[in-house]
Amino acid sequence: MMSAKIKTIERQGVSYDQRLFLIEVFKGMRVTFGHFFRNLLDNSKLYVRHYPEVKPEITPRWRGRHRLTTHEDGTVKCVACFMCQTNCPSHCISITAGERNDGRSEKLPVRFDIDLLECIYCGYCVEACPMDAIRMDTGIFSVVTADRQSVVMGLDKLLATPGAFTEEDYKKRGL
Amino acid sequence: MAETVKLFVNGQEVEVESGKNLIDALKVVGIEIPHFCYHPALGADGNCRMCLVGIEDGRPPLVPACKTPVSEGLKVQLDAEKIRKIQHDVMELELINHPIDCPVCDQAGECALQDYYMTYDHQASRMRVPQVVKEKKLDFGCGVVHDQERCVLCARCVRFTRLITKTGELGIVNRSDEARVTVFPGRQLDNRYALNVVDLCPVGAMTSRDFRFKQRAWFLKRSPSICHGCSMGCNIFIDHNREKGGDDLIYRFRPRHNALVNGYFICDEGRLTYHQENEGRLATAMVDGKDSPLDQAIEMARRKLENARKPVFLLSPNCSLEQMLAIRALAESRKARLSGFSDAYIKNGDGDGWLIQDDKSANRAGLELLGIDTAREGFAQALEDADLLVNFNSMRIVPAAAELAGKIAGLTTIAISSHNGPLTRQAAVALPVSSYSEYGGMVINTNHILQRFAPAVIKNQPAPDMLDLLRQLGCTLTERTDLGKAMQQAIPALAGTDMSAFPAEGLNLKEKETDHVTA
Amino acid sequence: MSPLDYLLVALRVAFGAFVPLCFVAVLVWMERRGAAFFQDRAGPNRCNIFGFRAAGLIQNLSDAVKLVFKEDIVPGHIPHKFYFILAPVLVFVTALISFSVIPFADTLVLGENSYVMQAIPLDIGILWFLACAGFSVYGIILAGWSSHNKYGILGGLRAAAQVISYEIPMGLALVSLLVVYGTVNLNEIARFQGQLLFGMIPAWGVILQPLGVILFIVAAFAETNRTPFDLAEGESEIVAGYHVEYSSMKFALFFMGEYVAMFVSSAIIITLFFGGYQIPWLATETLVAYAKPVALVLLVLLPVANYFFTGWIRRNNTSHYYRPNDPRVREANIYIRCFWILTGIVEIILLGLLLADTAPETIRIFVALLQMATFLLKTVAMCFVYVWVRWTLPRFRYDQLQKLGWQTMLPLSLVNIFVTSAVVVALS
Repeated sequence: MMSAKIKTIERQGVSYDQRLFLIEVFKGMRVTFGHFFRNLLDNSKLYVRHYPEVKPEITPRWRGRHRLTTHEDGTVKCVACFMCQTNCPSHCISITAGERNDGRSEKLPVRFDIDLLECIYCGYCVEACPMDAIRMDTGIFSVVTADRQSVVMGLDKLLATPGAFTEEDYKKRGL
Repeated sequence: MAETVKLFVNGQEVEVESGKNLIDALKVVGIEIPHFCYHPALGADGNCRMCLVGIEDGRPPLVPACKTPVSEGLKVQLDAEKIRKIQHDVMELELINHPIDCPVCDQAGECALQDYYMTYDHQASRMRVPQVVKEKKLDFGCGVVHDQERCVLCARCVRFTRLITKTGELGIVNRSDEARVTVFPGRQLDNRYALNVVDLCPVGAMTSRDFRFKQRAWFLKRSPSICHGCSMGCNIFIDHNREKGGDDLIYRFRPRHNALVNGYFICDEGRLTYHQENEGRLATAMVDGKDSPLDQAIEMARRKLENARKPVFLLSPNCSLEQMLAIRALAESRKARLSGFSDAYIKNGDGDGWLIQDDKSANRAGLELLGIDTAREGFAQALEDADLLVNFNSMRIVPAAAELAGKIAGLTTIAISSHNGPLTRQAAVALPVSSYSEYGGMVINTNHILQRFAPAVIKNQPAPDMLDLLRQLGCTLTERTDLGKAMQQAIPALAGTDMSAFPAEGLNLKEKETDHVTA
Repeated sequence: MSPLDYLLVALRVAFGAFVPLCFVAVLVWMERRGAAFFQDRAGPNRCNIFGFRAAGLIQNLSDAVKLVFKEDIVPGHIPHKFYFILAPVLVFVTALISFSVIPFADTLVLGENSYVMQAIPLDIGILWFLACAGFSVYGIILAGWSSHNKYGILGGLRAAAQVISYEIPMGLALVSLLVVYGTVNLNEIARFQGQLLFGMIPAWGVILQPLGVILFIVAAFAETNRTPFDLAEGESEIVAGYHVEYSSMKFALFFMGEYVAMFVSSAIIITLFFGGYQIPWLATETLVAYAKPVALVLLVLLPVANYFFTGWIRRNNTSHYYRPNDPRVREANIYIRCFWILTGIVEIILLGLLLADTAPETIRIFVALLQMATFLLKTVAMCFVYVWVRWTLPRFRYDQLQKLGWQTMLPLSLVNIFVTSAVVVALS
């Protein structure tokens, strides 16, 4: 067993000058004014990403919008085992299974809907999937629409979205 | 409990019923012995070797529990190292050629192989040779789909067709790892109980085409109920589930063991009657063929009933005893003539003397017990000068009485109906009512066994209960306690019994009466 | 009354009414960009009209448009709709009229006539302010109560309890101040602060009443419901407190009322403690006497200041990511040109003042303008302190707030009165 690290934190606010309060207030104001003044003089030093123009770099571990993967011949990997639906804590996945006749397996999803408004992007579906059929590696982090229906990702949309990473990078993400 | 014996399991003394084998006897006291091939209805076969247990003192070191009857002072070893190794090794053998396609297998979640793997095996496969490839998705007929690769060759299905249905369509061909269950060429499964092999199969080798891929087993809620498909009143589990955004739908019926009524099995026809509970239901109240708000339709029906001079009540033989009592009470207060005419429910020559009965109604015995006339003449006579017919969920007149159907069509009709049918469509007022999967009550089967069942399904928009409707139509006998008293009056066997302690397997009224006589 | 009298009345009332309103926009902008810079963020910098962002001021415009066009909801569950609508009006109007007694320049003497540079020339000055500030909390209480909402009523109750706790130290801090100044007339108070102590230090309230200034500023923060005393809003615990049910322009009135109150209390703080419109060491008469040298100094300093200011604009008004043909650089060039033109105009006026043979009235007006500028500069600086404190200090817990009010500030203000009175009596 690892020995627990004990860090003793010095109790603040007990000395007289701290209890006088005003001195500490001025100290705090000095700190914030330092930031203000530095940024006022040169606003290139702001800790800001200029978002719509400068996109963040997405790592393979990032859980973005979902997609369904396919075999090399383009057939869907998903076998409609309902593991993702069973595991989903927000009940955002709904699947209808059907008979499969492409020789891969017996079962495939005829309907596979993910309601992105309900999804909490926890990634449990990816972990639960026994077929590596669902991934959250599209790198899409912004889903914006004007109506509720178009954020329900159907089978077509999920299959049409490509992954943002190479297979090697995705495997290296280590989960 | 019958005679008991005391024996020792893992050194601990337990008292069990005598005359049973170890698996059944110990199951009662909560000790599970893993097994594939043994089934109480099919007897011990001893081929799977999963139930091997150790018996101390004398005997061979290992015996199959399914073939070992309990006896006084028996010392059974279940947790010895060698037993664990046997169970572990049997599981490993079973899984050598198993495809492990649980993701696509309907049995997943209620599979003995899965459960035993988690309990007794729990290791990765050591096999480095390719698995034996067998046939998958074989159509065995009667809606049974077979997967030879998943099969553990317990032969339950084979024994079922040989011992129970005596049709013998199934057999095991080839030997060793090429052995497989199959039908004879050109002779598919052909019996009216074939879907029971799906329930019997401990793994996912037998699946039902009807249920296939509809739902995963773990989503389903199991509610005990009584099949209303015929007058046998087989005990069933209603497996239902409310999917996200959908209604509470029934996905399958499964047999529920009741030694008094149906044993372990049900017929295929009854099994598939669940479709009728989901489909063709009367969803909204209708007045003159147009959708109408329920309260207005009820008010309309009540007024029609009050104004009628000579109303006739037609009563379905599927109604529960409570409903029949309430309808009878309403008929008395309204001076209505009551008929249980339901010849159309009888399909002569369809019964087989085992589970399937000629009479396709659940509670005809109840009608008779309450003294409600079921004769055709009475009904025809009542219709002669009637000015209103109130139909309490009777769906079938034709073909038994085609000429009466014409007479009915000319009458003002109030149809209180769970399903949409011709009688509902031509009614002046049609009121929706819940069906047997949604209400609870009592029915008497053809063998005079009184059984009770509870509501299973709760719809998103529940149809009103028959008793509620009757109360709104002016019936005074709709309270549960009043009905209980009325029932105890009507059925002497129930007199003085506590209704909350009603036996789960039902009450044999015939026996009870003879008991009374002898007493 | 002569036409000049009418003109000056109109000018003074306009100043008293419109300056706080205009500064709402400036203060909101200052709050947002200030908050951003305190937190190392950029703040609103995208809103623009034809690419002109005016350093983020356009954001205020779009917010104003949004608030005007939002649906004005009066929730159906409210039984007293009149009070519900009255509440924001009360908050806004009381905040606005309390500005009317603050002098923004010394009495303007034009020939025979003299004009008190206040929107309403009242002698009771500070008492008017106290009355109005105390009354504005009724708007908040009324809003909380009439919202018929548990959060609203909690916010209103908090505001009520808070105002009771902090009006007292505020009033008592003022008492000791009035002992020093010997008057309640704000113009006289400002004029008093034009004197010099020992011939070198401006006799500002902050020097004469060091404890009083702290007490008064803290109490003024509490009066305006600003952090760390914004418990009546308390987003984290009572969602938005008294204005949770308000939308559209009714919410905007609360919003503007808060900023007007902040501006007014800044103005009162600088009038009472920081010399008001007085330029340090340059009391009104001194300024009149030395108008031309002051104009000369301004003439020299203004282009220098503008040079540095435009340099700052050029450095900071650029895109900090790759952008071909950066439109922000073009935008900055136009700003710089505008500022140079503005500077040029002021330079010409100053030059005219220096070269022409000026009448005493012109000098007086020039001095009044200088004092107005000083007054606004000081007020905005004080508003910046408001912003600064808001983004530095977290909100008080309710018991801490009451403890500070009753157990610390009340005794301190009483002590301050005794000490001040003793000193004043001893010195007189």
